Amino acid sequence: MAPMRIRPGATVTAAACAGALLATSACGGGAGSGSDTIVIGYSGPLSGGAAVYGKNIQDGLQLAIDDLNERGVTVDGEEYRVELQSLDDQYAPDAAATNAQRLAEQDDAAVVFIPHAGGIQAAQELNSSRTEFLLGAYSSDPKIVEQGNELTMMIPPSFKSYAEPFVDKLTQNGESKLGLLGTSSEYGQEWTKLVTEEWKSRGGQVLSDNSIDYATVSDFAGPVSRTLADNPDVIFLGGPSQPTAVIIEEARRQGYEGSFLLMDQAKFEEMEEFTDPENLNNAIGVKPVRDYDDPGTDDLLDAYAEKVTKKQPVTSEVALNYQSAAIVVTAMQQAGSIDDSAAIREAIPDAIGEVDEHFHVSGFPTEITDAGHLRNKDLEAAYRTPEGEYEYLPIEQPDE
Amino acid sequence: MTTTTFSPQRLGTLLVALALLLAPLTLGGEEYVLRVLTVGATYAIAVYGMNLILGLTGQLSLAHGGFFGIGVYIVGLLTTDYDWAFWPSFLVAVLVTGLGGFVAGIVALRTREEYFAIFTMAMGFIIFLVISRWESVTHAHSGVSGVKFPEGFGLFDFSEPVVMYYLVLLFLLGAGYVTHAVRRSGIGRTLVAIRTSEDLARSIGVNVGLNKQLAFAASTTFAGVAGGLFAAVQGFVGPSAASLDLTFEMLMFILVGGLGTVLGPVVGTFLVLFLFEFFQDFEAYRFLVLGPIIVVLVIFAPRGIVGYLNAFVGKLRSRAAGAGNGSGGPPEHRSSDTATDVKETL
Amino acid sequence: MTLFIQQLFDGLALGGVYCLAAIGLTLIFGVLRIPNLAHGTLYMLGAYVTYFFLVTVGVPYVAAIGLAAVVLAVIGVLLERIVFHPLRNAPHTHHMIAAVGAMFFFQAVAQAIWGADFRRMESPISGSVTILGAQISWQRIVIVVTAVIVLGLLTWFIKRSIHGQTIEAIEQDRTGSSLVGISPSRVSMLTFGLAAALATVAAGLVAPINLLAPTMGDALSLKVFAIIILGGLGSLPGAIVGGFTLALAEVMTSTYVSAAAGEGIAFVVIVLVLAIRPTGLFARAVQR
Repeated sequence: MAPMRIRPGATVTAAACAGALLATSACGGGAGSGSDTIVIGYSGPLSGGAAVYGKNIQDGLQLAIDDLNERGVTVDGEEYRVELQSLDDQYAPDAAATNAQRLAEQDDAAVVFIPHAGGIQAAQELNSSRTEFLLGAYSSDPKIVEQGNELTMMIPPSFKSYAEPFVDKLTQNGESKLGLLGTSSEYGQEWTKLVTEEWKSRGGQVLSDNSIDYATVSDFAGPVSRTLADNPDVIFLGGPSQPTAVIIEEARRQGYEGSFLLMDQAKFEEMEEFTDPENLNNAIGVKPVRDYDDPGTDDLLDAYAEKVTKKQPVTSEVALNYQSAAIVVTAMQQAGSIDDSAAIREAIPDAIGEVDEHFHVSGFPTEITDAGHLRNKDLEAAYRTPEGEYEYLPIEQPDE
Repeated sequence: MTTTTFSPQRLGTLLVALALLLAPLTLGGEEYVLRVLTVGATYAIAVYGMNLILGLTGQLSLAHGGFFGIGVYIVGLLTTDYDWAFWPSFLVAVLVTGLGGFVAGIVALRTREEYFAIFTMAMGFIIFLVISRWESVTHAHSGVSGVKFPEGFGLFDFSEPVVMYYLVLLFLLGAGYVTHAVRRSGIGRTLVAIRTSEDLARSIGVNVGLNKQLAFAASTTFAGVAGGLFAAVQGFVGPSAASLDLTFEMLMFILVGGLGTVLGPVVGTFLVLFLFEFFQDFEAYRFLVLGPIIVVLVIFAPRGIVGYLNAFVGKLRSRAAGAGNGSGGPPEHRSSDTATDVKETL
Repeated sequence: MTLFIQQLFDGLALGGVYCLAAIGLTLIFGVLRIPNLAHGTLYMLGAYVTYFFLVTVGVPYVAAIGLAAVVLAVIGVLLERIVFHPLRNAPHTHHMIAAVGAMFFFQAVAQAIWGADFRRMESPISGSVTILGAQISWQRIVIVVTAVIVLGLLTWFIKRSIHGQTIEAIEQDRTGSSLVGISPSRVSMLTFGLAAALATVAAGLVAPINLLAPTMGDALSLKVFAIIILGGLGSLPGAIVGGFTLALAEVMTSTYVSAAAGEGIAFVVIVLVLAIRPTGLFARAVQR
C-alpha cells in the first residue's frame, strides 16, 4: 500500500510553482526600456509611516524630469525622454536593495535614488560588486560616503556640519543646560549623539535623554514635561516637521521660554503650517526653500503649487532632489552615455557648472567631493529670532 | 492501481526541486530575479520552522521574526565587529537560536493557543526593541554593513550570486527533508496527536511538555539558520530584519502555501513574494489589492494551495477508486487540514 | 512633585483612551474569541472620519465624534460580516492573518483618500488649568470625563439592556445562549459595531492632542493587547483596570526610568503576566 501514501496535489502544485517562477523571470525587460528613454530609478517609502517623506522626494524628481523633458534632452546627438520609475520600499533596507537591482536591470536605470541611510548602505553592497548603477543618496548621514563606494552621490549637506554652528549660536548668552527630546529613529539617534558630544565639548551640561519615537507616542505632554522638569536652556528636538511642531507647541504651552535646536529633518516652512508660528521663535534650523533667491526658486514654487499641491510648502527634500536629477541628466550629456554609470559619475564635476540656471533653486552645489558629496560652499542655516524674524548664518562644512 | 509505480508525491517534489534548481539557468543574467529567489529561499527556510510548530503542534509563534532577527544579527555582528569567519558565526547563530528557543519554550509553552500567540508576539516585539535600541552593541537603526560571505575554502566562491543561491537552496532542501522525515516519524505523529488534543495525548503517555518544547526549539533553529543565511545574502542588515511585520509575512506565506504540508512553505513563500513584486507597479496602492487577496485566500482556501489541491485531487481519486467506502482519501492528507476544518475533506 | 502630578494627569488621560480602545478588543475576544489585530486600524479610520465631519463637513466637535462612531459601527459590522463571519469555524491563525489583510487594506484606503501626510485636528476645547502647580489642558480633562461617562453607559448597556445582556450571555455560554434563542450571529455584529464605535470615540478624543496619519493605529494595537492580557481576555472590568494601569506604568516608567523602557513596558507586562498566570490576572474560568 505504500504508493497509496501520496499527495497527488503535489504534481499540480509543482506545475503552479514552476509557472510562477517562469512568470517571475518573464516579467523582465518590462516598462521603460525603450531605446529613446532614459529611466531614472527611485526606491523610497511610498506607503507606511514615512510615506510623506518618500512622496516629497518623488515629487522633486518628477518636477525636474518634467522640466528637463520640456527643454529637451539630447545625449550624444540623440534625443531622449526622461522617465521616473518609482518603487515602494517602506523604508526597509533589504527591499530598497532589491528594488534598486530591479530598476537597474529590468528598467535599465543607470541612476537610482534612495532616500534613507539603511537602504543606501544595502544598495552599496550591490553596486560595488554586482549590478552597476549610480546611487543618488539622499541622506545627511556622512557614513554613506565614508566607505569608499565609487558610485554614490550624496545629495544633502552632512548633518555634522550643522551641530557646531547651531550650538555656537544658541550658547551665546551663556546657556548651559541642554534637554534632549529628539525622535528615536535612525537619524534622530545619530543627531542626538552628535549634539550631545558637541555640547559636552564646551563644558555644557546635557540633561536626561527623553528621545521618543515620534510615530508611536500617543501623547507628547508626558515626555515634554519630563524634559522641562530639568529646566533646560536649550532643547534639542526634531523628526518629521508635523509632530515636531506639535511638541514645540506643547512645550510652549507648558511655559517653556528657552530656545530650540532643530535637527534638519524638521522644516520651518512646514511647521509654520501646523502651529502658531510664534511658538517657533528663538529656534535654529535649516533655511526654508522659499527664502533662497536662486534663479529657479520661484518657478519651482509655482510648479509645485500647480502640479503637486497648494496645501504644502516646498521643502528642501523636494528642492534638493529637483536639483540633483538635473545634475544627473546633465552628467549623462557630458559623458555622452545614458547607461555607463561610472562615466556618468566621472562627468558630474563638469556637469555641475553646465546645469541650466533654471534648476538652481536652493543653494545649488558648487562642487562634488572625491568621496561623492555634492556641496554648496555658501550653505546657510536659519535662526528665527525671539521676535519672529529669520536671520541666516553661514555654515562651515568640515573637510571630507 | 497495483501496477502504478507512478508516485505523484515524488514527482511533484521532484518538479518543484527541478524548477528551483534550474531557475538560475533560465534567467540569463537577470540577477534581480535571482536575488528575489535567494531571499525567498531564506524566508522559506524560516517558514519551514514555523510549519513545525504551527502546522504540527497547532501553536502559533509570533516570535518567529524575532528569532530570525537574532540569527541575522549574530552572523552580522560577529563577522563585522568581531571579524569572525562566516561558518563559526553561523554555527553560533544556530546554537543560540536553538537553545534560546528551548529555554524560552519553558515559559512560553505554559500558555496555549491565543495566549501563546500573544505571548510570543510580545516576546518578538521585545527582541525587536532590544535590537533597534541597544545602540552600543547592535548599532540600532544604523544597521550592520559588510557582512561576510561564507568561506568557500577554495572550492566555491559564495560572492557569486548563483553559488550563494545554490547554498541557500541546499539548506532549503534540508529543511524540506526534515519536515518530511518528521511527519513520517513517530515524533510527527506525537505532535499531531498533541495538536488534536493535549489531554488525550497526555493520557496515552505522551510527554506533551517536552515534545512541544522540542518542536519549538526546532522551529527557532530553522529561523536562526534562515537568519544567518539572510545576513550573508544581504550584506547589510537593519532592525527591520527582526520586525513583527516579517513574522506576519511568514505567517501569510505558510497559510497561502498550506499548513503542515511538505511543499506548502516553498510554494507559499515564492507565490506571495511573486505577488508582492508583481504589484510593485501599483506603488502605494498595492495594498488596496493585496489586502483583499489575503482575506479571500484565507476564507476560500484556508488549507492553503497545497492543502487545497491535495484534497481536491484526493477527492477525484477516491471517486475514481469507487465511491462507497467513504474514506478514500489518502491517509496522510488529513494532516494538512487545520484542526477544525475536517468535514470537507472526508 | 509638580512633575509627578503632571504625569499622573497625563497618565489618566492616556488611560482613558486606552480603556475605550481596549474594551472593544476584549468584547470581540469574549464573544468571538478573535484576537482582532485590525483594531488599531479601526481606531485610525475613526480618527479620519471624525476629521472628515469636523473639518470637511463642519459639524460641531461632539457631533462629529458621534457621527463618526455611527459610520465606524457600520464598517465594524461589515468587517464582521465579510471577513470574520465566514471564518467563524476556522482556527485563530486564520483570523489573525485575515485581520492583517484587513489592516493593509484600511491603511491603503486611508492613504488613498486623505494622503500619507499628517493632519491636525483642532478641538474647540483649548486652554489649560493649573492643578497643584501642574498645567493640565482641558482636552485631557475632557478625555478622562468622557471615558468615565462612556464606560458607565457601556456597563449599564451590557448589564441592564436586553441587547447588551445578549453579549454577556454569549460570552458566558455560546451553546446555552443559542438554545434560549439568542442569535450568536447578531451578537457578533453588535459586538463589532460597538467595538468600532468605542475605538472611534477614543480616537476622536485623542486626535486633537496628536496628529492623524494612516499608521497612527499601529502602536496602539499592540498596546491594547497588553491591556487585555493584563486584565484577562474577554473581561470588561479587567480592560478598564488594565487600561489605566498600563497607561500609568508607561508614563511613570518613562519619567523615572527611561523613555525606551516606557516604550517596552507594555510588552514586558504581557510576558510577565503570562509567565506567572498563563490565563491573565482577572481571567474567569475559560470555557471551551
